[in-house]
Amino acid sequence: MQTMKNKLSRRNFLKAGFLSSSVMVMSGCSLFSITTPQETLRVLQDDLFPKAEALGINTSSYLHIVFHHSRISKAEKEYLKNGVKWLNEEAVKLHKTSYVKLLSTQRENVLQNFVKTDWGEVYLADVMNYLFEAMLGDPIYGGNTKEAGWKWLQFEGGQPRPKERYL
Amino acid sequence: MYDVCIIGSGAGGSPIAYELANAGFKVVVLEKGANYTEKDFNKDELAVSRRDMFTPPLSEQKHIINEYAPDGTFTRYDGEKSGWNFWNGSLVGGSSNLMSGYFHRLKPNDFKLKSVYGEIEGANVVDWAISYEELEPFYDKVEKIVGVSGKIVNHKHQEPRSSLSFPYPELQTNGVTKWFDKACEVLGYESIPTPRAVLSQDALKRRGCYYSNFCGSYGCASGAKGSARAALLQKCEAKIITDAFVYKLESDAKQIKKAYYYTKLGFAHAIKAKIFVVAAQAIETSRLLLNSKNKFFPQGLANSSGEVGKNLIFSAGGSGQGRFVFEKLTQKQQEELMTTGLFFNRSLQDWYEYEAEGKKYKGGTIDFLFEHQNIIPRVKREMYDAEGKLLWGEALAQKIHKTLTTSRVLTFEVFNDWLPTDNCSVSVDDTTEDKYGVLVGVINLNGHPHDLQVGEHLAKKAVKVLEMMGAVEISYNISSAPPPNLVAGGCRFGEDVKTSVLDKNCKAHDLENLYVTDASFMPTGGSVPYTWTIYANSFRVAEVIKKELSS
Ligand SMILES: Cc1cc2nc3c(=O)[nH]c(=O)nc-3n(C[C@H](O)[C@H](O)[C@H](O)COP(=O)(O)OP(=O)(O)OC[C@H]3O[C@@H](n4cnc5c(N)ncnc54)[C@H](O)[C@@H]3O)c2cc1C
Ligand code: SF4
Repeated sequence: MQTMKNKLSRRNFLKAGFLSSSVMVMSGCSLFSITTPQETLRVLQDDLFPKAEALGINTSSYLHIVFHHSRISKAEKEYLKNGVKWLNEEAVKLHKTSYVKLLSTQRENVLQNFVKTDWGEVYLADVMNYLFEAMLGDPIYGGNTKEAGWKWLQFEGGQPRPKERYL
Repeated sequence: MYDVCIIGSGAGGSPIAYELANAGFKVVVLEKGANYTEKDFNKDELAVSRRDMFTPPLSEQKHIINEYAPDGTFTRYDGEKSGWNFWNGSLVGGSSNLMSGYFHRLKPNDFKLKSVYGEIEGANVVDWAISYEELEPFYDKVEKIVGVSGKIVNHKHQEPRSSLSFPYPELQTNGVTKWFDKACEVLGYESIPTPRAVLSQDALKRRGCYYSNFCGSYGCASGAKGSARAALLQKCEAKIITDAFVYKLESDAKQIKKAYYYTKLGFAHAIKAKIFVVAAQAIETSRLLLNSKNKFFPQGLANSSGEVGKNLIFSAGGSGQGRFVFEKLTQKQQEELMTTGLFFNRSLQDWYEYEAEGKKYKGGTIDFLFEHQNIIPRVKREMYDAEGKLLWGEALAQKIHKTLTTSRVLTFEVFNDWLPTDNCSVSVDDTTEDKYGVLVGVINLNGHPHDLQVGEHLAKKAVKVLEMMGAVEISYNISSAPPPNLVAGGCRFGEDVKTSVLDKNCKAHDLENLYVTDASFMPTGGSVPYTWTIYANSFRVAEVIKKELSS
């Protein structure tokens, strides 16, 4: 039993790799700081849609599923990670520090500037895509706690509901 | 040795399996997907609609798409890089598991488009090798065996029927349907209850529909939906081999000898049979024949005419929508609007044929239905403001909440003929391979301008109904973008061996024991979704094969 548990936690640790891997944030040619996609995306998702947390939904844990999903392409995962770098570079450019270290008004300012570029807008929409998947997918995926997302929108999931996650 | 080997277990292949196995013949079905039963299906939006669990990953299996412009130049898209996906459902029963089951028959004039409406420049329109009258008994058979529910109302384009009514009563409809009927009455349009391949009550050893609210794109957990699996394969003793990707048919000059397939683990196997039936859905059927070229058929199997893959068609038209908002409705109407589960189920065929500027046109069908209930796309659509600017934070939350809880969208789908043209076809790529190492199919896409003209005509009529019903934000989009799930052609049937691949019984002109029974045989598609016709024709061909094997 113990061995199985060890194996599982080892697996989870490996699986956690992508989200906790480092992202180099550059300022000009020099390395400014190192952050992780997890750290930035957690704060970013909360900034984009605070209602989720107000409903008791943790959307960032769903990102583990996204980053390890067999049906989400490597390119898409790389893109999500690269966007973290771009957003932080915007933060450094405007406020001289990484996104998560900023005050909420400063982060809003970063977002307002970031969204003006086409790629910035597309990236934020992509992050929101996964945020809504977490919030409105079946609760079996760990977002949408107690169907809080569905209840907020007076939505009833279809029956029968899945008994296991499709990964 | 098997009597019959069928490649593809969907709507085209399964009537053959059902009829032949139930007549005591030894039948094997090779299906590249997995098997699911009612117990396995659920309404997991993330798995079904966002992670495409029933279709192959594009990183492993894809198409190359050449999109033609009116000047004859084309742009090449790699299916994987562009995300352009032409897979519809790889599982036992094929994409019929995932269909919505909007069922319309073709009409007598659909079988003789050229004779009735004349040639159209730039289009390869021909008459069918059979008439409506020859197919009618099999449309009737589908009603009874697969199960079609509905209510016949006599309208000016109602096709002749041998049974007075449908064997199963119409499904329950949402209260908003009454608003629609009233609007049509004022406009002088004939509202038709949409026939559905859905059992409205327990029958045929299957359960009736429980109005799950998630029908199209989802597998049916009750068996009410007339999928090829629930209605046919689960009702016969045909042997089904799953995870069997058929990559080649082997032949001599007269007969197919073996079908070769790869298992999930990549092992190659062969099956011998007296008769082979290909029904891998239109694009893949042509691809398999082309990939099976040999010294007897250097251009591809059954392709002495050079017609395999030619004249690929889709359902032309497009879709539109209007929104009903609480502000314009009484309390009772608001409740009716928000009642989920029950179907809308209304169609218009007033303009199946129409006249404009003194000329007779072949028109089409308009189906009305509530917007799909998947919640994620409905929420994502609210992410932008009226100027197309991305929203977030509280402003977005408010917009989403208001839209989803105080309004609902009614959509319509226009179906008209996609005229067959030279630049709409299937071929195989010279170098690009799938995960099995087999050359991928190339889909050449070309829409004829006439299709858009007819689509526009129909869409404008649909808009009038939405306006009369009091909808707001009405919009529509008619385009030459092909609906991947409504595809036909590529192996035309006909009398002339030089201009068709199959004879009138859907047997290859070139080979004694090869039949094609998906929609590939259709030289023109009619102005309806195809599945009822695919089923009916396959039942028709089953009779021919039964006779052949009995003699
Ligand atoms: C979401 C959705 C909604 C739809 N709604 C409607 C509707 O309302 N009304 C309507 O009329 N139609 C509808 N359709 C279309 C309908 O499903 C198809 O017309 C019908 O299933 C086509 O039958 P088929 O036999 O050609 O293909 P399929 O039913 O798709 O079967 C083909 C089978 O062949 C298998 N196969 C392919 N290549 C190989 C190979 N090389 N080796 C082994 N197996 C292979 C595939 O895995 C598949 O299972 C809908 C389809 C979808 C996806
Ligand atoms: S139960 Fe009814 S609504 Fe649900 S999938 Fe089956 S046929 Fe469609």
